[in-house]
Amino acid sequence: MTSTTTTPPIIRQRKPIRWLDIREGLTGCLFIFPAFFLIGLFGIFPIGFAVYVSLHKWRITPGRFVGLDNYVKSLDNLAYVAFFWVVAVVLFLVVRNLSKLVQRSKEHGDNPWVWLLPALVTAAGVASFIRFIVLLLPEILGIPDKLKGLERTRALFLQFLGEAWHVPQVQSAFWTSVVITLIGIGLAYLVYNFISKSEFGTSYYTSLITAILLLGGALLLGWFTWSEIQRAYAEAFEAGESLEIWAQVITISAGFLLLLLSWVSWRGATKQDSSIKLVLRLVAAMMLVIGAWVLIAELPRVIAAGDKDWWQGLKVTVFYSIGTVPFQLGISLVLATLLFQNIRGKSLYRLIFFLPYITPTVAAAAIFKVFFSSRPSAPVNSLMALFGLDPLKWLDEPKGILQLIAGPNADIPTWAIGPSLALVVIMIYSIWSYIGYDTVIFLAGLGGIPRELYEAASIDGAGRWAQFRNITLPLLSPTTYFLTLLAVIGTFKAINHVWVMRNGAALGTTDTASIVIFTEFNRNTQYGYAASLSFVLLGVILILTIINNRIAEERVFYG
Amino acid sequence: MASGNLTSNQMPRRRLDVGHILIYVVLTFGALLAIVPFLWMISGSLMNLSEATGRAVLPNVPQWDNYRQAWTDANFKDYFMNSVIIAAITVTGQLVFCTLAGYAFARINFPAKSFLFTLMLATLMIPEAVTWIPNFITVVWIGRISPIPWINNWPSLTIPFMASAFSIFLLRQFFFQVPSELWDSAQIDGAGHLRFLIRIAIPLAKPALLTVALFTFIGSWNALAWPILVTTTPDWRPISYGLLAFLQEAGAMVHLQMAGSVITIMPILILYLLVQKQFTEGIATTGLKG
Repeated sequence: MTSTTTTPPIIRQRKPIRWLDIREGLTGCLFIFPAFFLIGLFGIFPIGFAVYVSLHKWRITPGRFVGLDNYVKSLDNLAYVAFFWVVAVVLFLVVRNLSKLVQRSKEHGDNPWVWLLPALVTAAGVASFIRFIVLLLPEILGIPDKLKGLERTRALFLQFLGEAWHVPQVQSAFWTSVVITLIGIGLAYLVYNFISKSEFGTSYYTSLITAILLLGGALLLGWFTWSEIQRAYAEAFEAGESLEIWAQVITISAGFLLLLLSWVSWRGATKQDSSIKLVLRLVAAMMLVIGAWVLIAELPRVIAAGDKDWWQGLKVTVFYSIGTVPFQLGISLVLATLLFQNIRGKSLYRLIFFLPYITPTVAAAAIFKVFFSSRPSAPVNSLMALFGLDPLKWLDEPKGILQLIAGPNADIPTWAIGPSLALVVIMIYSIWSYIGYDTVIFLAGLGGIPRELYEAASIDGAGRWAQFRNITLPLLSPTTYFLTLLAVIGTFKAINHVWVMRNGAALGTTDTASIVIFTEFNRNTQYGYAASLSFVLLGVILILTIINNRIAEERVFYG
Repeated sequence: MASGNLTSNQMPRRRLDVGHILIYVVLTFGALLAIVPFLWMISGSLMNLSEATGRAVLPNVPQWDNYRQAWTDANFKDYFMNSVIIAAITVTGQLVFCTLAGYAFARINFPAKSFLFTLMLATLMIPEAVTWIPNFITVVWIGRISPIPWINNWPSLTIPFMASAFSIFLLRQFFFQVPSELWDSAQIDGAGHLRFLIRIAIPLAKPALLTVALFTFIGSWNALAWPILVTTTPDWRPISYGLLAFLQEAGAMVHLQMAGSVITIMPILILYLLVQKQFTEGIATTGLKG
């Protein structure tokens, strides 16, 4: 996630900085400026701003600072656990990146620590710039309040904006940050020209800055979470209630830790010889059982104390993901394999399969809405009537499909009724819509497999199925991995088609996580709460990405 | 043995064995599933109300008037024009800004280049849901101090989308492939980066630019959540939102809804059929939709 892991080292020859280089650098900055300004304003700044919003009670206009209350509202005490784990993960990343940096510098015989001082100063400059923004924001956001009773003209807004900018604190914060950053860059310049002999100098510099900033951020977040817990205890004490935050934080964290350790030792076991392997696996299994037992005991209580709509949204999203991704990938793999055979009309088929994907979402969803309408005379219900089946309510049906299959009299526990029929229709839409895309990507992947392998295999007498299992599937695994990741993330971000097809009659059984966030924001105008939910969603997506990456490391074969 | 292997290798070339017929059956069935909703949409858009809500498969008499009604009475004309203007502005902005940035990332040395590039790519991971709220507040604020309003106006619908990390990435990959000999000889002729970009690199990058333009156009045409947030009146409502509003307001007018859907789909469909190769190849190599 940080620059050190992905950045290729800048390859350049060591030479003193010349006027031409500076000119080139300036041209480059000018070229990227417009795009970067926009991406900064609408892509990077919003992340920080959303953090700011999520820490406030905010209904259209900003309210008071409420700390982690918004997160606690949706996740209950799990929020504290999550924040501590974020701190742990960031610390882990910092350590890993620093050790990579040290390793890399050893390989090149460099000393990266000469960059430490400039990096520290620059990081301090960046941090104080963030502090400047945090000081400036409330001044700006408070302007509409000051304008109460006055006519809201542009001139007045501009005037107050100027005043906000000239608040002494803001000014001093701004100039401090500028001076510190300039000193940092100056130091870096000195190191670059007089001390460091390495051609990777700038890469050490930026890596160190990132590491320092992440470290500082993690420590700050850890301290903040801790003080929030203390605050909650203090408030509960005054109200005469008792809390068990620490107990829950510790048990749940221990549960997750056990699961993690179990996974690590299971993986470590594969590299050992048989007797140690057995012991390690046994230990892993035990930790798995205990960890799962702790979590099963503890998590439902936390979930019950959290926001019902939000957990329902997450459940719907998980159903939607599980019900969509495997089918979508499976069907498109079959289609791609068939299309890859020696057949006529290949491009025509491809053109048709691709149609649903390029169709504007709202229009395609509108067709499905009519197709799966609850009217007995709607197309799908008419088709069912042809086969002598009773019409269904489809998009208006909140009942789970397992309940429907088992019949109304069957007594099925609520956790086992499965996704609602309405959600199943949305899944069908999603599968229909993305198959063409997956097929095209699979086709590209199939095209990359060397033909000779198949020829060699068929000389050895391998049948079609054996060839598919032993050549196609393993060599296609990078494509499969890419598509799985994209599809899973896609289902967790899904909103447009769900928004079109959702119906009041389905009683919220089709509201995915994104829909819950959108309604909290747009309809209930709970800006702060919606912002906190969006970060929880981001966290879920990141966790899924990491899990997917881990699985891919073991299973994907980059031939 | 050798001859036996030869014949078995030639087997797939025989057109009409059972396996091949099965393949055609499966593929055709899949193609039917993919295309039937479209056929029904076109057919439904030509029905009258009772046919559309009844069990008719084809209209008795094609009601071409449905399209006129959707176009004028249901305001699809306005939505359509809005979307065309919004898409045109966004595409132009992206072509200018992303070309400049993509070129700079590929061929110019400037400080903190790789860091900025990673930072930019990291924004691709952020779900839309995180940026809705802050961007909405930002846009409201810019609207307060800018000479033209932003909410319910084109700037809020276009300017935030004029630079995309994805397009910059795509164009950077392309500019990498421009041979450096060309740059060397241009430099000898005294050309700077800007002139080299305009005279030589852009003409070479036409396919990549077309891909970027296509994806941006589709993304802009499909946008729904953001337009719902920043347009409260129909004045600047884009077509996707217009269709959604029509679905919600005229729940029973299935035939007109289908006509509206046809109108919404048509431009994309025509674009797709025109530059189909570009489309599929662009997606196969980049793996994303706008």
